[in-house]
Amino acid sequence: MLRRPQRASKLHQRVMNTNSLTQAPWHQTTVEPLEYHRKFLKENCRPDGRELGEFRTTTLNIGSITTADGSALVKLGNTTIICGIKGELAAPPADAPDKGYIVPNVDLPPLCSSRFRPGPPGEQAQAASQFIADVIENSEMLQREDLCIEKGKLSWVLYCDIICLDYDGNILDACIIALLASMKNVQLPEVHVNEQTGLAEVNMKKKRHLNIVKHPVAASFAVFDNSILIVDPTSDEENLSTGFITVVIDEEEKLCTVHKPGGTPLSNEKLQDCINRAITRNKEVCKLLNKVMKSMKAK
Amino acid sequence: MPVDTKRLRGPEESQSPWLFVEQEQQSPPDEREDGRRKGQVDVRPIFARCGLVSQAKGSAYIESGKTKVICSVYGPRETERKDETDMKFGRLVCTFRFAPFSCAKRCGWIQSTQEKDLSMALLGSLHPGLCLHRYPRSQIDVSVLVLENDGSALAHAVTCASLALADAGIEMYDLVLGCSLRQEGSDYLLDPTFAEETQEPATESTENRGGMMVALLPSLNQVSGLLCSGDLEQQPLVEAVAACIEGCQRIYSVAQRCLLTAVKKKNPPPDG
Amino acid sequence: MTMTSLQETDVLSSVQPITVHVITIGRLASEACAVNMSPWKVCVPGERLCSTEVCKAGSGTYIRHSFIFASLAGYVVKKNEGEELPVISVARETEAQLLPDVNAIVTCKVTSINSRFAKVHILYVGSTPLKNKFRGTIRKEDVRATEKDKVEIYKCFRPGDIVLAKVISLGDVQSNYLLTTAENELGVVVAHSEAGVQMVPISWCEMQCPRTHAKEFRKVARVQPEYLMP
Repeated sequence: MLRRPQRASKLHQRVMNTNSLTQAPWHQTTVEPLEYHRKFLKENCRPDGRELGEFRTTTLNIGSITTADGSALVKLGNTTIICGIKGELAAPPADAPDKGYIVPNVDLPPLCSSRFRPGPPGEQAQAASQFIADVIENSEMLQREDLCIEKGKLSWVLYCDIICLDYDGNILDACIIALLASMKNVQLPEVHVNEQTGLAEVNMKKKRHLNIVKHPVAASFAVFDNSILIVDPTSDEENLSTGFITVVIDEEEKLCTVHKPGGTPLSNEKLQDCINRAITRNKEVCKLLNKVMKSMKAK
Repeated sequence: MPVDTKRLRGPEESQSPWLFVEQEQQSPPDEREDGRRKGQVDVRPIFARCGLVSQAKGSAYIESGKTKVICSVYGPRETERKDETDMKFGRLVCTFRFAPFSCAKRCGWIQSTQEKDLSMALLGSLHPGLCLHRYPRSQIDVSVLVLENDGSALAHAVTCASLALADAGIEMYDLVLGCSLRQEGSDYLLDPTFAEETQEPATESTENRGGMMVALLPSLNQVSGLLCSGDLEQQPLVEAVAACIEGCQRIYSVAQRCLLTAVKKKNPPPDG
Repeated sequence: MTMTSLQETDVLSSVQPITVHVITIGRLASEACAVNMSPWKVCVPGERLCSTEVCKAGSGTYIRHSFIFASLAGYVVKKNEGEELPVISVARETEAQLLPDVNAIVTCKVTSINSRFAKVHILYVGSTPLKNKFRGTIRKEDVRATEKDKVEIYKCFRPGDIVLAKVISLGDVQSNYLLTTAENELGVVVAHSEAGVQMVPISWCEMQCPRTHAKEFRKVARVQPEYLMP
């Protein structure tokens, strides 16, 4: 499903003209949103002019928050996610004394959309946090043993705090990209445990990056009307869809996670289509990430 | 601290690595780090932009030095709680939050008492500037998030919130601008950075040491919020307020320009 | 800090040069007009516009100490109205602040019904859409002008119907906006039958489904051309 922008724009124009939707598009989106979307889907395009398999423009900005050890800001169309990682020191878990902790948390504040209310995280935020924790574990992007400083005594805790600044659908993809980019940006100081006092000694002047071995990238799809698969749904499309599926692939074209929370059943071929699209998406995002990292180093 | 059952938890206790770094005893420098002068009205250059959050009615982002604040405004919408509906005036609800990674020491997710206090201060500063009698039976929600705190977070939050309210088209008597100050002995430091706000004093005396935040309505020249902490004598206090007011006036031109650009970008000029 | 875009937006290379030319000419023409008229002034809230002796205050402004100040960020518009003083107001293209007011015609969607009233979400005030839904209530006695006590809500509205109504009251602290459909031009404009198809009105109290030809009772609005939705 390669992108063909000109065809999409010509089709898009035709659909807009024949249905005289340009006269009152807002009315159509509040009163009869499903019909409005169906008209576009019949012509294999979407209301914002994209093809069914096209992602929105992705923008990445790394290292802007200096108080965090690593940070990244991702914009996927209008959806904006910021991830900040802070490293702290703690005793390693009793059941795994040679491992550190990675604690991701996703927050959907009332700032990002009118559908969220202030207070404790709702279902969507909790589900997203758990999804990110699963991806980190399944993909083994970071070995938890690397975070241990001294077995049984001291290890690093990486608090990955992901905040959504603008909610326009498909936050899972954007969160994974933000997490990956900020992990690559993290610089932790060198820590030794003093033999005599048993306390830690931190050398802020020597910092090193984390060892990221795998690069998982997610691709989310929404199922429309039990049959049509669209990639990277916006918030309107998410509200009207009948099912969701998110596929996470790493750079060796290995499957890390498939997240399908109920919804319409999918056939084998459709699932294979999703996986193929996710593989291409991984290549696109890794290329972008490398470009950004190179330009950071050049400074 | 109440246990947060809705978030993924790490270890019971963890400490920031900064606690273990050898603190070099530094006396507060005579010159300010970024080249600004003591005792002069020198505010950091501000970058302000409106209309970033597509989902919000109005939004604004301010960057001043390293302090980064984003605000979005929703409303007027129906009040959430029926018994708080006021038939004559609209209700203003302000939420102020620090992102966990915004300070040198990680803040938790649950809103701390300091954040609640700052939310009330923000509400008090913004309230006089809005024409709430034009929005009966409704509620206006203002949410401020500090992405990086390098000093004077509340002052910039006030400015950011009023830019966002103007961007949302909420009727206001005037913009509300904030400026803060730190008094050290006989000198004051306007728009202090985080290091300047928390630095240890040079001498043992506690005279004339404190911080202040002033929220001003510039063209009506009225003060809508004044927060002061510490120990200040009368004369330095009066001078400090005057310095903050002048700081606000300096920011006014930047805020004006930001709003004018936003208006021109968002709305085409009306027809004849 | 670096910003890198993944996909550059493609410039439409297939745009005909003639169309572009025409648009440019059109723009130049309006710019020529603009040169003759005064340029549009943009203002911020709190900016002093003029004194009350020169103009009258319009929307988006307030009066203080016999001067007119702007209360919105937008364009300053001065309209001359005959012999009276010109009216100065601040215009923002996005309507926005419109709240439902008494005697305003609103478009709403029915959310739930019971034997005494129907609860609705107000979507449009006049022709401007609301970004936030406000709740309203249509009481049994406000549905029709005649035979008010014999009304059955089930035969007038169903959940999901789009209704044109008028605001009679802002309600009080406990209740929602009170609406009425007791006029010929007010009532149901769009309704779906039990089969899920949009129905066609046959009379003031009945609508018919085009697929199953079943008739259902509704309080139908007499269609006016300007309120008809495509």
